[in-house]
Amino acid sequence: MNHIKQEDIKPALVQEEPKDALSLSAATLTTNGKKEVKKEDVDVVKPLVRESDGRKSLWQGSSQYRHWMFSQEMLLKQRTHTNETAVTAIKRAYEAEETGSSNGIEFINAQEEYALVKLYVDKISALCDHFRWTEEVEATAMTYLKRFYLKNTVMDWHPKNVMLTALFLAAKTTNQPISLDAYTSAIPKTSPSDVLDLEFLVAQSLSFEFAVWPAFRAVWGIWLDLQSLPDTRPEAIKDILNAAREHVRTARLTDAEFLYPPSQIAAGAFWLASETLTEQWAKAKGLTASELEPIKEVARMIERENEPGGRINIELVRDVDRRLRLCKNPEKIPGTNAYKRKQAAAEAAANEKRAKKLAAEQQAGSMDVDVFGEKIFIGDVKQEAKPDLGFSSGDED
Amino acid sequence: MLTEDTPMDSVEKENLRRAQKYTKDAKVGEGAYAVVYKGREIATGRQVAIKKIKVGQFKDGLDMSAVREVKYLQELHHPNVIELLDVFSSKTNLNLVLEFLDGDLEMMINDKTQKFQAADMKSWMVMTLRGLEFCHRNHILHRDLKPNNLLLASDGQLKLADFGLARDFADPGLKMTCQVITRWYRPPELLFGCRYYSGGGDMWSVGCIFAELMLRTPYLPGESDVDQIKTIFRALGTPTEEEWPGYTSLPDYVSVGHFPKTPLRDLFTAASSEAINLLAKFLAYDPMRRISAREALNHAYFFQAPNATHHSRLPKCKIVSTEPEEPPTHDNAKMDLMKSLTAGPSSGRKRKSSIGHEVVSRPPALRHMDVDKHESL
Repeated sequence: MNHIKQEDIKPALVQEEPKDALSLSAATLTTNGKKEVKKEDVDVVKPLVRESDGRKSLWQGSSQYRHWMFSQEMLLKQRTHTNETAVTAIKRAYEAEETGSSNGIEFINAQEEYALVKLYVDKISALCDHFRWTEEVEATAMTYLKRFYLKNTVMDWHPKNVMLTALFLAAKTTNQPISLDAYTSAIPKTSPSDVLDLEFLVAQSLSFEFAVWPAFRAVWGIWLDLQSLPDTRPEAIKDILNAAREHVRTARLTDAEFLYPPSQIAAGAFWLASETLTEQWAKAKGLTASELEPIKEVARMIERENEPGGRINIELVRDVDRRLRLCKNPEKIPGTNAYKRKQAAAEAAANEKRAKKLAAEQQAGSMDVDVFGEKIFIGDVKQEAKPDLGFSSGDED
Repeated sequence: MLTEDTPMDSVEKENLRRAQKYTKDAKVGEGAYAVVYKGREIATGRQVAIKKIKVGQFKDGLDMSAVREVKYLQELHHPNVIELLDVFSSKTNLNLVLEFLDGDLEMMINDKTQKFQAADMKSWMVMTLRGLEFCHRNHILHRDLKPNNLLLASDGQLKLADFGLARDFADPGLKMTCQVITRWYRPPELLFGCRYYSGGGDMWSVGCIFAELMLRTPYLPGESDVDQIKTIFRALGTPTEEEWPGYTSLPDYVSVGHFPKTPLRDLFTAASSEAINLLAKFLAYDPMRRISAREALNHAYFFQAPNATHHSRLPKCKIVSTEPEEPPTHDNAKMDLMKSLTAGPSSGRKRKSSIGHEVVSRPPALRHMDVDKHESL
């Protein structure tokens, strides 16, 4: 994953992290003169004072900021790269099967992949309503699904099952777990293995970074700010809150979260809900004109999404889904020769590793004495005791 | 051997690359849910602990304690929080690569050959509070603080570990489970079934740890949940309505009798008055009035002589060889490391409690319970 440079993204609305409590208090006490703090006291305490986290905001320390924020160009490049790598690999798989068999296949490009993924991002809401999950689960699952397809292609993994797995995982990571049986039995034509088989892959694709900073929380924060502005009537801003919430929901269908910090997305949503009030708020916060720019860009993104046909292009998605049947990676379809070959290769590699390990253990002399005896005879069937029975460190993988 | 040339997805490749950065050398512990290996980062030779979580056995996939631990440690980077260096998966296991830490505060407290100076205790307290203040500032509750989960690095740094019960602060109005925090360190409001709380629970645990450092034995070792309440009231006096408004209407409130208040000074004879003052603030009955980690770091105790010992000059854990000749006993370093890193049941060592009676065993770890199932109901 691309690491973004700090200067690429400016989280304009993030609060400064307070200084270390201890150093702060030492300073306060000295200036107040209330309590004598000898110079050497501070010096001795100092080495314990945290140095490296003092300058970063909590947001800048988050995995979302460090690994999941992009410029528009980087994002496009990432998606194109994922798509092109996949097409090359799938072509190779077809060619291995039969020379020339990949000719004439209309592969799906990065934009088409994105359109299909978006359809399934949108479907998450309805499922969350069904399970009565909070907005946190919904927002997190959507983020997981979008992040997954920055590194994977729909030609390898169809978004339907990935969506189900992402949602199941998001319920766990946001503390609202549900049993797998209860989950899959509520969703038609879904078996537990559809969800479970992909869980590791999804977790890996997320780099095991489960924490997500959702924009809807920032909406709440700004709403609290708005109430403390002069001349705001609670009943007037109530509607604005609901409108902003709706806009944040729309923003989840866009790339906004890869491009802007949650606070700017929330501010963009308020900008659409009430430009005047948001301007007032920005003024109170001391935002400069250039700091308002990203907020307006977010607002434009949401607006484009709200235009007729802006949300999901059903015609295009249907066409993509139809073509997807013809250009799926054969290595990922159980039963095909390509799939079997790949499984066999993986199996062989694992066997080789096991053999190596066994050899190493024998070399180390750990297998000299087998307390279970050399052979076990059960009736007529002569069974050899597995040499590592009971001794294995359990590290077979 | 799988290599970079074996055809695979970029995600699989990345995973393999992470896995191949480390070697597993020796198994140092095994619990019901994880195996811990001592290993090295090949490029640097740095020692690491690899905690292999067996996921295959769970029918609901990745289990909650693994999810929590990974989620929070990925975000928390602080000298007083254990560092998660990498995560990778193998066929049916999840591997967490953690910094290798030699001992923990429980080992230190139990080793009666170690003499603690007041300055040493101050140093451990300041490090605990710094780590915890950082968690709370990140809106994360630890929910299982105890000496056994405060690990000690070879340079003396103390690190909060075991985030298997951690969670974010709940949104206002959402319930959380009260079945968290090992019993002896659990605050009275959780024992009474309180479902809405914030950092105060962790602060009570810190108070119990502070007391244990001074006493060199657990301060409030209850034998059951009800006995825990009794033990607390016996030590600190039954709270008055003024001291803790409304506590008798908590869901699981039970009356355990009236105990008089005895001054902390009677038990903590060697402590400074500032230490006693801070301890009383950690152990305030009303969670709303209990001191926060940030406030505690600003408490006069830390600005009063003696100065906190620099971590490099603190007493060191005496490490028993990780390959003992004899079968491992409960008191050696290997077991302690294992306990701190796995979900294994706590040891059954006999210890004398602060109030004189023999304590049979440490209360069981909570992590196997799927404690948050009903949190959001």
